[in-house]
Amino acid sequence: MNQLNSVAERGIPPEALEVMARIDARRKNFNRNLKISLAIMVLLLFLSLVVLGLDFKFMGKWLGFILTGLGFTLLVSVLAISLACVLSVLGALGRLSRNPILNAMATLYVSLIRGTPLLVQVYMWYLALPQIGGALQELGFVGIQKYLTLPAIPAGIMALAVCYGAYMTETVRAGIQSIKIGQNEAAKALGMTRAQTMRRVIFPQALRVIIPPVSNEFIAMVKDSSLVSLMGVWELSFRAIKIGRRYFQSLEMLILVAVIYWVMCIILQTVQEKIEKHMAKGERGANG
Amino acid sequence: MSENKVMIKIRNLHKVFGRDLHVLDGIDLDVSVGEVVSILGPSGSGKSTLLRCINFLEEPTAGTVEVDGVVIKAGEKSKNQAAKILDIRKKTGMCFQAFNLFPHMTAIGNVIEGPVTVLGQSKKEATPYAKELLEWVGLSDKADEYPARLSGGQQQRVAIARSLAMKPKIMLFDEPTSALDPELVGEVVDVMERLANEGMTIIAVTHEMHFARDVSTRVFIMDGGNWIEEGPPEEMFTNPKEERSKRFLAHIL
Repeated sequence: MNQLNSVAERGIPPEALEVMARIDARRKNFNRNLKISLAIMVLLLFLSLVVLGLDFKFMGKWLGFILTGLGFTLLVSVLAISLACVLSVLGALGRLSRNPILNAMATLYVSLIRGTPLLVQVYMWYLALPQIGGALQELGFVGIQKYLTLPAIPAGIMALAVCYGAYMTETVRAGIQSIKIGQNEAAKALGMTRAQTMRRVIFPQALRVIIPPVSNEFIAMVKDSSLVSLMGVWELSFRAIKIGRRYFQSLEMLILVAVIYWVMCIILQTVQEKIEKHMAKGERGANG
Repeated sequence: MSENKVMIKIRNLHKVFGRDLHVLDGIDLDVSVGEVVSILGPSGSGKSTLLRCINFLEEPTAGTVEVDGVVIKAGEKSKNQAAKILDIRKKTGMCFQAFNLFPHMTAIGNVIEGPVTVLGQSKKEATPYAKELLEWVGLSDKADEYPARLSGGQQQRVAIARSLAMKPKIMLFDEPTSALDPELVGEVVDVMERLANEGMTIIAVTHEMHFARDVSTRVFIMDGGNWIEEGPPEEMFTNPKEERSKRFLAHIL
């Protein structure tokens, strides 16, 4: 009753209260029902595994062994994404450069790498590069072969970084180009150089635009890091597949490793949402 | 008082977009220190392009631009032309129709950006004057707000403060009130008028009648890439000589 009075004082007619309450309830109900639906589906997935007669004891026994591979997966992913970020910024600046040589280099890089399978690239770094080293050595570059013969993990990191760097180059370029021309002009009118304009005005705004697609790439890369298992690195999926084959229980091992990847990606997604919220501070109120 | 000291001297300025869009057709313009110039004219007549050629946001195709003693000949291939352009930009402040504040910085962040990045001051050095400027445009209480939370009129006043932070010798206004709701135009024109009263040299492309008639010292009417006529505002608005000026003024008055 009290609330009704205060609303009436604000000039909102009492019959509007019911409508306002209904709109409010609709939103709350949707959020609640969404959570319930998700929980039920996860439960059903789990139950179907029980029905299939999954050997949970077996999974528990080998969980520790498989998780030991997590270190390699994280090491490869984190180093590769860091390097890919650097490559993508350089690539994007090259793609936007008015210098024909730099522009051609960046364009060729993106085209070549996006146009070939990651699997082929991984073997290139691991198996073909030493051969190139050998050929160069014969041409007179003494001692170069041992620098071009990469162990499995560095080769995997290079392959992933160079490949994702090419995809992210286009993301970063699009992010930079999405900033309105007026921003560039305002910075120029203040007397900023091109480098200052990029660093202070364009890039910070582009970053906000590219966080979601870059997180997407990062999530994809965490899973593609399993390709280093091709070179015999004992990372997550390699361990799961080995054990599964040895005991003829591949289903258990594959599901276990899938869940581990899934959990990792959920964590990454949460981090992404946090970053996005933080970066959006200048935007807030624009919609409200 | 050096009333006749030259601030801007433009000779035979041409701007051609592409191959055949001849937007500026041999413009001459002299502006002395302390003068307030309003440029009027139908849309597409080249007003904004002229303004943007003064600080080289557009590169003129031919002619010379002189701002406060720095002379640049269009098309000149000299090593120090880039340096001269930066020099001119530091001497001129510019306000845009769309404000163009940096959305990822607060109001005060926008105002100190020029002094910090371009002049190399520390934030601490730049802040007191920036606060003074925000107070001068009447927005000291909005210093920590992001542009998205300010009205159009407030944004434009922050943009003026941002330009003034560079201590410019001349201010260029490119239709500063055209994107504003009618009730917000006054607050921006008021700031421009106070700026004029403090002796700032101003060139404004504007259709805001109070500013053109009562604040400016000279009015130029432009069409087809060159002047139709110019003169003191009382004469231009009451007794224009050219037929084309009469027709244009009849539309906007």
